[in-house]
Formats: sequence, C-alpha cells, structure tokens
Amino acid sequence: MPLEEIGVILLVLVVVFVLGQLWFHLVESVLNRIKGLFSRHKEPPAWHPLPKEQEDTDDI
Amino acid sequence: MGFFSKLFKGPEVDQEKSRANAKKMRLLFNQVVENGDDYKLIFGYTEDVARFNYGFVHGSKTKIGNLIVGWNEDSETIVVVPTVPDLSGCGDPSWYRRSEILKAYRNKYPTDAFIIYPDRKSYIGINAYDWLDDESLYVYVSQETELAEFTDFFTNRFAKK
Repeated sequence: MPLEEIGVILLVLVVVFVLGQLWFHLVESVLNRIKGLFSRHKEPPAWHPLPKEQEDTDDI
Repeated sequence: MGFFSKLFKGPEVDQEKSRANAKKMRLLFNQVVENGDDYKLIFGYTEDVARFNYGFVHGSKTKIGNLIVGWNEDSETIVVVPTVPDLSGCGDPSWYRRSEILKAYRNKYPTDAFIIYPDRKSYIGINAYDWLDDESLYVYVSQETELAEFTDFFTNRFAKK
C-alpha cells in the first residue's frame, strides 16, 4: 500500500476521532444544562471543610 | 540493591503521606460523627458506571466517589462519610446499623465490593484496597491491616442475608 493511502486513512481516522470528541462534549453540555434546569431549586449537599489543627499558643 | 531490582520493584508507598492522610481522615470523620474515636477507619470508594449512546458515539462513563468508612464492632454499625481525594472536606454521614439494614454481603463479581442494602430501593457498593496510587482519583493511604480487620468484621459480623 503506498504511503499516500496510509496517510489518507490515518487522516480520516483522526477526523472521525475529533468529530466524535466534539459530538460527545456537545451532547454532554446540552444534557448537563437540561439537568441543571431541573435541579436549580435543590439545596446543595452539606459540606464540612477539613478543620485546621489546633496550634500550640502557649509557646511564649 | 542493584539497579534492575530497584527498577522492577514497582511503586512504593510514601508512608509519611499515607500517615498524614490517615490523620486527616480521622479529623474529618470525628468532625461529623459523634464519638468518632469509637470507630475504626478505612478509605473506600464507590463506582458509578453509566453507559451512553449519542448516535455514532457510544461508550461508558465512570464516576468515582471517595468515602471514609468507619465501623464499630460492638454496635455492629458502619458509617460512611463522602469525601474528596485531597481530603479538603466531607459530606454528611450515612449510618448502616446491622439491626436496621435489609442485607449485606461481600460481592465476588465484577469486583469484590462490600454491598449494603439499607432497604429494598437503595444500595451502596464499597470498594476498598490496600493502597491506590492514583492521587487524582483516590485518597492516598496505605491500609493493609485496617482493610483486613474491616473484611473480617464485615464478613463475620456484619453480613446479613
């Protein structure tokens, strides 16, 4: 198989891959927006940040 | 030790980092669970695999949820606290008391997860390993002994049919 044909096949594969990625992210963003519309009024789950460790203040 | 034996030894646990994370896990757990010191702790995670088919693009997406899992042998209770890999915070705890749950068992396939059904409608599958290297996805902690203890507790004391 000549190099040109191999190059064309690889190029087609790259184009298919890039289009697939674009399509995936497009559909994902649309779905996320639709989900966001339904969960707008939901309260976010409670979150407790890591407590800062007690430092010794009796050094002085 | 020769160069090649070092090369093929594989990744080693950073014990200092592991100890620091174990301490953070304890701080977070005790912050949200009353008498938290009465519980032994391990790190576990849930895996939510969703398949998608967007026309000519289809595959699967996996969501990992990190958990601090505490257990008390006397009260036969498991407490699960959601967290993040860097342990910067945690969510509210969920309690699974043996006397109140529907069933609990150790899964064999596809993963050897610890499965708990609190009722007929919901379940939680807790995966746990001695150590997981990927810090972007999992809490970096070495827990061989603790996991062995938890496995023994779960299979011999907590499991319920």
